[in-house]
Amino acid sequence: MIPQLVTVGYRRSGGRRRRIHLPVLPVALLLSPLLLLAVLGGLVACAVFRIAPMGALRGTGSVLWALPGTFFEVEEGSMAFLVSVR
Amino acid sequence: MNDQGRQILQMLGEGKITADEAERLIDALGRRRPEPEPGAAPSGGPRPKYLRVVVKSTEDPVGPPTLVNIRVPLQLLRAGVRLASLIPPQALTKVNEGLEQSGVPIDLTQLKPQDLEELIEHLGEVSVDIDDPTATVQVFCE
Repeated sequence: MIPQLVTVGYRRSGGRRRRIHLPVLPVALLLSPLLLLAVLGGLVACAVFRIAPMGALRGTGSVLWALPGTFFEVEEGSMAFLVSVR
Repeated sequence: MNDQGRQILQMLGEGKITADEAERLIDALGRRRPEPEPGAAPSGGPRPKYLRVVVKSTEDPVGPPTLVNIRVPLQLLRAGVRLASLIPPQALTKVNEGLEQSGVPIDLTQLKPQDLEELIEHLGEVSVDIDDPTATVQVFCE
């Protein structure tokens, strides 16, 4: 399953907590022209560095597919930062 | 790790209980469960899905504790290993040279994906628990 929702949260020294929820699919669709360019750039880089492009695509895909469930949270004093992928 | 153990660690992570209290609770849980026979095959429970790192530091006795809570899917480690196997040999040689210059004589070309796969497979049995007066570090799979 590809990631569906990425949550980024932070709390600054003022104590105000903010959370940003990013729905992955709509954002990916919105940025699809840039993603296409990135894929093309990646394929060129694969050709330059002699890496199998299909292997690289498969590897990147498997990393993306494995991302859901990742959680990272740091709290220090009044500052806090969290990233959650669902 | 069962639900009760996870709940204890969650309470510890949230600061609801102290490290000593968590230790006593986990000991009590362990006493309730009979120890497996030595050499017996591992129980066929659910396979762990996540690697969890929880750090709680109270170096500053006045301020709130510093908390680090990381959960990484084991599948992500597998995917990372698969992706790392695509690194071209000439790049690995350069990395090896850099590591050797930094005093870390590790030959990355000897790291095979199947070995790392086995390592990740057995990571489920790893549990690290460091209890320092100013910090607690826990690494486990759930």
